[in-house]
Amino acid sequence: MSSLSWNVFSGGSVTIDLEQCVACPTKACISACNVPNLGSALAAGPDGLPSLGITPERAAQGGCIECLACDLACQSDGLGALTFALPTPEIDAYLDELRAAGSAPGRGW
Amino acid sequence: MPKLLEHRGKSLLRAAGITTPDGRVVTTAADARSTAEALGFPVALKAQILAGKRGLGGGIVFANDAAEAEAAAQRLFAAPLYGWPVTELLIETKSTIQSELYVAVVSDTAARAPLMIVSTSGGVAVEEAAQTGSGTTVSAAVDMRRGAPVYWCLDVVRSLPLPEATLVALARVLSKLYEVYRRNDCTIAEINPLAITERGLIALDARIAIDDDAVFRHPELELERSQEVGDRNATALELAASKIDENDHRGSAHFVQIDPDGSLAKAQGKISIGFDGIGTGVSMAVMDELVPLGFLPMNFCDTSGNPTGSKLYRITKAILAQPLIEGYVFASCLSSQQLDVTARGIIKAFKEIFAPHGGAPTIPCVFSFRGAWDDVALDLFRQHGLDAHPWVRVLGRDSTERELAQTFKDLHERWRAARPMVTA
Repeated sequence: MSSLSWNVFSGGSVTIDLEQCVACPTKACISACNVPNLGSALAAGPDGLPSLGITPERAAQGGCIECLACDLACQSDGLGALTFALPTPEIDAYLDELRAAGSAPGRGW
Repeated sequence: MPKLLEHRGKSLLRAAGITTPDGRVVTTAADARSTAEALGFPVALKAQILAGKRGLGGGIVFANDAAEAEAAAQRLFAAPLYGWPVTELLIETKSTIQSELYVAVVSDTAARAPLMIVSTSGGVAVEEAAQTGSGTTVSAAVDMRRGAPVYWCLDVVRSLPLPEATLVALARVLSKLYEVYRRNDCTIAEINPLAITERGLIALDARIAIDDDAVFRHPELELERSQEVGDRNATALELAASKIDENDHRGSAHFVQIDPDGSLAKAQGKISIGFDGIGTGVSMAVMDELVPLGFLPMNFCDTSGNPTGSKLYRITKAILAQPLIEGYVFASCLSSQQLDVTARGIIKAFKEIFAPHGGAPTIPCVFSFRGAWDDVALDLFRQHGLDAHPWVRVLGRDSTERELAQTFKDLHERWRAARPMVTA
């Protein structure tokens, strides 16, 4: 037991640091992953920690609907053990060009 | 709809057997000179941009010797044309033209069929002909089950006042042009002008646009897909944003920059803002309210069709990557879209973008959540503290478009007044 991870359809991945989850009193990510009529991607494992209720392949095909509910729930009610990484290489490259030209938006990029 | 530059369109015409002038694409003035020398004079130097009326704008020039060709190329590369940089020139042998025709196959949505159009008023005269009725124009819907064989095309053009041999040659070109249209899933395949010369019919220009929904079927065209940018090249940010929708069918994230460099807002004395709307109707209504109050959306964006949270996250990053915006407006119509998912994507993007400021937006932002799960969306904004920031206002289903615009104006005025204290 160290981490749980799966890829998502749009390109990206979810990683949960299960070591941190042991101390999490809410396991909010599991209850947040509640997709009406579609079932859940996340479920509680035998040890009570988050586990995938579907296969990683199914999750990557769209079984994880990328609603980000687990991500925000972990941030607000959990311990911040979940990383929902959604790369934006083209936008990053655009911003890099703006920075190189000294015209990047200053609002925190 | 993705459009092809002239030289790429002409390569499709040549592949179908339609004659085009001898030519090559160059990217430097020195190459322009050597290419012109190799082709033989006189030559035409043609700026490769997607805008129309290049000739009137100085984007097509002729040269009679190498020095002229190099000097003309230097001038064309040096200055933008209709606001767009010229990075490629098509150098072609200049044709001796007897007269010019206009030919096209276009998707006619009313007729639900391809429409073949032929006019004896080609070149720049075609628009005048459309207004004045000069010249002779014929058109016919193509039965897609049958296609456009040469004998059928000959029937279409038979009434034109042209010599019989020219009519036969024209019918052959039209049949081939229809094949270009079909084979490449075009919405328009146009040759204007199709020159009548001693060498026969020669396509002097090519305007080809591909159906958005068929782009995936044509990897060989290597199209940079971007939504509805009109007669100009897509901006770098539009191309970046187009990747979000490219391989993900779940909902849409249509993004187009209305005023990419802010020049329109500046000319009109307005303030540029970022914009996202769920549904084009509500977007238009909100813009109609914002513009009289002194704001001009730098972009249009439609995130409808129940997109994923990840799609909202990515497109929000694209909208906020516009350096000149002084605010952000999000508006939803009373749709069935699951607004809590939408809200999560926006919240995730804002938390990341404004992380150096503790997640507090440094520009005025107004959100209007009206529709399915809007109460959950509002709860999420509260839960994550986004509604408590001084430059954020969150409105619910009771708000109108006018209230949204006025709320943004009031907030922007306060932000402007406090601006020295803000790291914008």
